[in-house]
Amino acid sequence: MQNFQANLKRLEAADTQVLGISIDSPPSNGAWAKQINVDFPLLSDMDHQVLTAYGLNKEYDIKGAKILAARRMNYLIDKEGKVVEMQVDNDAIDPSKVVDVCERKKLKE
Amino acid sequence: MKKLGFAILTAACALSIGSMRASAADTKTAAAPQPKIKVGDTAPDFKLLDQNFKTVSLSDFKGKKNVALAFYVFAFTGG
Repeated sequence: MQNFQANLKRLEAADTQVLGISIDSPPSNGAWAKQINVDFPLLSDMDHQVLTAYGLNKEYDIKGAKILAARRMNYLIDKEGKVVEMQVDNDAIDPSKVVDVCERKKLKE
Repeated sequence: MKKLGFAILTAACALSIGSMRASAADTKTAAAPQPKIKVGDTAPDFKLLDQNFKTVSLSDFKGKKNVALAFYVFAFTGG
C-alpha cells in the first residue's frame, strides 16, 4: 500500500481513486494506515465476500496455521466499471504499470 | 553401541528434515485458483467499510473515476 501512497498524487491527477482491500478489520486497517501514512480507503472484507466474488481467496501457511486471505492483486477498473489492467502476485507490488495506464488514458480523453 | 549411534543419526536426520519442512511451509503457499475476474470483465460491485467505518462502494465511482483496486494479504506487512 505504501507504493500506492507514493504514487497517489499522479493517480489522482489521472482521475483514479485508489482502494486497498483485505480481510483485516477496520480498526486494524486504521492503525496500519496511520503507521504507514496511507490516506486512501483501506476496505475491510472480513467475511471474504469480495474475495470470493473475485476468486482471490488464497490459503497461507503461517507457522503451521492455515489462514485464508487475499491473493495479492491490482485491478484497474475504468469509469464504466470494466477491468482494463490486472497484476497478480509479486507483479502487483509495484503499481507503476497501473499509474502509466491511468496517465495514458487521461491523455486520450 | 553401533546400533545406538545409528539410531541417533536417524533421529537427527528426521529432525533436520522435519525442520526443513517446517521452514519451507512458512513461506510456501498452496497454489491459488485462477482469479475469476480478468481484463475486459465488469468488476463485481461491493460495499465495504473503510478504516474510518465509512461505507465505500465500487459503484460510487462509476462514471466519475477509474478505480485502482489493490488486494493485499495482511495489514502490517509490506507491499
